[in-house]
Amino acid sequence: MTADGATPTLYDISTGMAMSLMQEIAERLGILAEGGEPHAIDLLGIPMSKRDRDELEAMLGRGEVEVTLDVAGASRLWETQYSGVWWIRHFGEGERVASERIEIVPVPEILSAHRLDMAAAARRLSDELAQANEPIPQEESAHV
Amino acid sequence: MSEQETIGELLVKRGISRRALLKYAGYLASVMALPPTSSTAMAQALANARRQSVIWLSFQECTGCTESLTRSFSPTIEDMIFDLISLDYHETLQAVSGYAAEEARMQAMKENKGKYVVVVDGSVSTKDGGVYSANAGKTNLETLQETAKDALALISVGTCAAFGGIPHAKPNPTGAVPVSDIITDKPIINIPGCPPIAEAIAGTVAYLVTFGKIPELDHLGRPKAFFGDTIHDRCYRRPFYDKGLFAKSFDDEGARNGWCLYEVGCKGPVTYNACATLKWNGGVSFPIQSGHGCLGCSEPDFWDRGGFYKPLSSWTGGNAAIIGGAAAAGAVVGAASALLARRRKASASGEKGS
Repeated sequence: MTADGATPTLYDISTGMAMSLMQEIAERLGILAEGGEPHAIDLLGIPMSKRDRDELEAMLGRGEVEVTLDVAGASRLWETQYSGVWWIRHFGEGERVASERIEIVPVPEILSAHRLDMAAAARRLSDELAQANEPIPQEESAHV
Repeated sequence: MSEQETIGELLVKRGISRRALLKYAGYLASVMALPPTSSTAMAQALANARRQSVIWLSFQECTGCTESLTRSFSPTIEDMIFDLISLDYHETLQAVSGYAAEEARMQAMKENKGKYVVVVDGSVSTKDGGVYSANAGKTNLETLQETAKDALALISVGTCAAFGGIPHAKPNPTGAVPVSDIITDKPIINIPGCPPIAEAIAGTVAYLVTFGKIPELDHLGRPKAFFGDTIHDRCYRRPFYDKGLFAKSFDDEGARNGWCLYEVGCKGPVTYNACATLKWNGGVSFPIQSGHGCLGCSEPDFWDRGGFYKPLSSWTGGNAAIIGGAAAAGAVVGAASALLARRRKASASGEKGS
């Protein structure tokens, strides 16, 4: 029983974890703002109740940027109301959250295009353009 | 497909972007409890690695371990493990059979001599020369000895391969033993569980491919990333234990309110596994969340340990003070942060389990 006589039920407990994480985020954001290293917190590795998670999400709030990724399943990223603090939620099979983390970084790395992907895209684009500009062979154009 | 091709080259060819690899590396870092900031370096290492040749041997087993690994078929990050390995032999999954299948195993062993990984699920029968389990005209014992000879390492998947499991349970009519009783000159990673969690199997293989080495193991050969904490340490019902709130029987008020299942036989406090965090069936639930205590299936001899519904206190000598002590010592505010602080590594565990 809790102090007020109510019976605690599943997922109903606020453990104070959200506030602990807010302290860590505040410290790390200060370090980043002064030119220090980015930081990440893996939320799935921390035993949090649903209420803890909801509290953290509410405390961090929503900021100016929200992104949806369609890569090996869906992902949703948003910058919180604190500039440089990002919430990153990757979904796996179905709608289950496969990984969830807070990143304290100017831009999450997953948003940047990788050099090799750009190189492959450049090759593909140039092949496609070359194909589009190829003259139509004579024998085929003869009976048009 | 060329064995010399890197995973990065293979992914580019398949039109899978580096973002997917980065996402997968982040997922792996999460399930393996590696620093979240390590995912960039992991993605890079994976991209530069070659696919790992894997020979999978199934002995005295129920195929539950393979079922566990292959549950996910949609193109999501969970299946990217199959881009990291070259599964060169697996009786249940391979299309070929008979001589062609055995030829594939011999060829993989020859081409990747000293570099392939042997995954074993199932225990090995040793009684009467191992005649109780055989295929392709060879006993499992012979096949294991032959295949392990030139392997880089072995992974015992499931409690049967790791500790003997159910075939090893009394009276053990086939003389079943774990892989580690037969192979003593190769590194062996144990990933027990009945079955093991898919992420623990995939994560361990991915770690081998990424870092080219065996992950840190506990005293029973289990990767600490997955077996470093007890179920109890990471259980969402732990705050109830700390507050002294227990279900006394199934379907009583405590059970309905989701209180701690310690008194109805939960083996969570002495069972090292990641069920409470990674969960099962795509993260849907795990036994305790479904209202049943942990059976302790990732520990040696779990089948013969005195009854699934007997509280640990009676099992360890009927000391009711353990329960009373737990109730009195708990009741702290901020239990989850305290729980984190108590995160134990297997080396700190007193229980050997057998």
